[in-house]
Amino acid sequence: MISCEHIRYTYDGATYALDDVSLTIADGEFVCLLGGNGSGKSTLAKHLNALLVPDEGRVTVDGMDTADTEFTYDIRSTVGYVFQNPDDQLVATLVEDDVAFGPENLGEEPDAIARAVAEALRDVGLMDFERHETHALSGGQKQRVAIAGVLAMRPRVLVLDEASAMLDPRGRAGLLRVCRRLHEAGMTIVMITHYMEEATAADRVVVLDAGKIALEGTPEDVLTQVEVLGRLNLEVPACCQLALALRERGVACTPRVDEGAMVRAVAELVGACAGDGAEDPCAPADDDAGAPVSAGSKPLISFEHVSYSYEPSVRERARRRRLPRRKKAAAWGSDPEAIWALHNIDLAIRPGEFLGIAGHTGSGKSTLIQHMNGLVHPTMGRVAVCGENLADRRAADEAKTVVGVVFQYPEHQLFAQTVLEDVAFGPKNLGLSADEVDARVREALRLVGLSADVVGSKSPFALSGGQQRRVAFAGVLAMRPRVLVLDEPAAGLDPAARREFLDLVAHLHDEGLTVIMVSHSMDDLAELCDRVVVLNEGAVLMDGTPHDVFCRPDELRRVGLDAPAAQRMAMGLRALGVPLAHGRLYTIEGLACAVAALVQGGAR
Amino acid sequence: MEAFSFGSYYPGDSVLHRLDPRTKLVGGLAFLIVSLLARSFAGLAVIGLFTAALYLVARIPAGRALRSLAPLCAIIVVVALLRLFTDDGGRLLFELGFIRIYEGGVYACVFTSVRMLFMMCVMSLVTMTTMTLDLTHAVERLLSPLQRFGVPAHELGMMLGIALRFMPQFASELQTTYRAQVSRGARVASGPLGGIRMLSSVSIPLFASIFRHADTLSAAMDARCYHGEQGRTRLHPLHFGTRDGVAAALLAALAAVVILVG
Repeated sequence: MISCEHIRYTYDGATYALDDVSLTIADGEFVCLLGGNGSGKSTLAKHLNALLVPDEGRVTVDGMDTADTEFTYDIRSTVGYVFQNPDDQLVATLVEDDVAFGPENLGEEPDAIARAVAEALRDVGLMDFERHETHALSGGQKQRVAIAGVLAMRPRVLVLDEASAMLDPRGRAGLLRVCRRLHEAGMTIVMITHYMEEATAADRVVVLDAGKIALEGTPEDVLTQVEVLGRLNLEVPACCQLALALRERGVACTPRVDEGAMVRAVAELVGACAGDGAEDPCAPADDDAGAPVSAGSKPLISFEHVSYSYEPSVRERARRRRLPRRKKAAAWGSDPEAIWALHNIDLAIRPGEFLGIAGHTGSGKSTLIQHMNGLVHPTMGRVAVCGENLADRRAADEAKTVVGVVFQYPEHQLFAQTVLEDVAFGPKNLGLSADEVDARVREALRLVGLSADVVGSKSPFALSGGQQRRVAFAGVLAMRPRVLVLDEPAAGLDPAARREFLDLVAHLHDEGLTVIMVSHSMDDLAELCDRVVVLNEGAVLMDGTPHDVFCRPDELRRVGLDAPAAQRMAMGLRALGVPLAHGRLYTIEGLACAVAALVQGGAR
Repeated sequence: MEAFSFGSYYPGDSVLHRLDPRTKLVGGLAFLIVSLLARSFAGLAVIGLFTAALYLVARIPAGRALRSLAPLCAIIVVVALLRLFTDDGGRLLFELGFIRIYEGGVYACVFTSVRMLFMMCVMSLVTMTTMTLDLTHAVERLLSPLQRFGVPAHELGMMLGIALRFMPQFASELQTTYRAQVSRGARVASGPLGGIRMLSSVSIPLFASIFRHADTLSAAMDARCYHGEQGRTRLHPLHFGTRDGVAAALLAALAAVVILVG
């Protein structure tokens, strides 16, 4: 279908973004392209539909050379391309106009376009969304509209350039489901991703590094190579990690990339040894290790019966409440007609805590954290920081120095000419002396692992994405807050950068900061937090230690969340009759240890 | 958002909603001219009846119609006051210092404000019954004869459409950035220097974001085979139907009656 022969490409003439890459993609194949940030994956993908033309070598699509401008539009309608950011690629206000954009450009007849639009929307599971406005959709829905827009041109290949990177777990699952269905119907799919779990669905995995193909093969072959992937800023899927951890403990186990298969294989191992609930040597001595810290101390931030509505007028709220509840609008996502973004929240955050906030998009997480420093005021109820009610203007100003909020994609808020100036923005607003400002800027940069002397005089826009985010972090830390509130601090980063950031956050917590982190990743929350709050439709659904929360997976699943991978596998094993302890929160290591004990105990 | 509700789209399925947007646009302009032809309250009454009939046909509730006009009342009041003080026909009714109000002034004041009210009612009706995208499409098509003289009608339409599409997005990005900078202690009311710093801390990220979006958007349009107007078709092509003929005839009849009544 597509063949790349020894292609080389350079953006700046100095370094090759692609260096002698040869790749053939067969008709109907599902190929996954992996690689850290800057490994050349997107550049390669853009060659597949003539958005870029190689400097050397050649790319042919269905026999057509991409360098030949005569074929450009044939190639682009054969190879559809979906971009990373759902907000960048929709051209029209209405869903149907956007989906029709491609076929309109190809000059098809209006009847044919209408048919193509209806079919494409059906294929991505958005039937009857024709007249919806694109900006009001959720991220996952927008991305599916983007896919529909490509499908309406009836392509034979679909290229997804990190199309799931900015989506929440639900959106990602929906996107993956669409891809799988299209693939079953015969579509060739090229998917670029950071998420190893997504790569497991592919027929073939290609790993790029510095513009070269580093690894290539079936998911089983590639995704189990821990050392190589680690060097390439990637990591192996959780189920492979389990197999490798078992192997370390002397249990022979072939890594599988499919979680279900992995769980069955482990269950068989244990079953063959007829283990009968041997003593688990790795059970933590103190099972309540995660008890809330300093439960007795005075809360730093407290929410009392806080409710918040985007609709400020009481009359309008009452009117909406009287309206008959419409039939379930979309298959998922929050109801845009919902009256309350937050409803009767009671929450106390104590000094030194590491609080995780989970919940799907639209559950009120962002609204909740914006209450914490008085950016948003509750419609009803009261928020207090250090005992001061934020309804008071002075207290709200004061709260901004106590509670530092880092928004999602904070690098998008950088503005100054140099890094130093940008970080100094906060302290300067506090009216501090020049010396004090300078000291704080240096300290903040040091905390995020940057040197003021090296990057200080550079423009923040000239830094790499990861460094930009560090600078934005420093900008908040320079305010010397006692509480750090983070909204998805690791969103959109590759696995290695993600790891680094989470380590940074953990380090800041160790330095004595109270940390509140919003995250979609249950694994991260389980690993880092000592308390987790789950929000659903604006109300607190669960509040407790990770142990309390993640041992109730059924409830989590009902609100569109999941248990951490290790816990999920432990439950799968239990369902297959493996005698693992109930009500215990497992890590990969802990689970491997317990399983190894069962296997070896049974064998003895 | 309430302040900007002038003529914002009111979803519906009336004859007016289904009229070709070009007809509505040109018809709206024609109505403005016709209402300028009226010289007496009798003529205005005819126009008023016509306007009321249009609202009935469009099935737009009176409350909604009035609310959408509220922000424009200021203009009517200003113009009406100007007429009140400047028109000096007829009897002198009132005098205080240099302010003199004549009978003619009162007449002109009432007449002008009623006429302006009707004009605004109809213009707001045009936008209330037409989706913005259809309006841009109509403007594009109406301008297209000028393409021969180098007016880039298609490009203008495309630009307008994309600008409208990104408006809500930039609004929400602007709000996020504003809140992020406020979290870092920025205050609007901290003197002129602080004000400037605040402004640049919000506007520069917005510009950066516009450029970022523009880059990907153009690539995304490329990837979907966009190559200008040539050979491009439309999902919903505009065509005139009998409805549009009837509308034109009705407008012509209105013009005739207004001229006859005076």
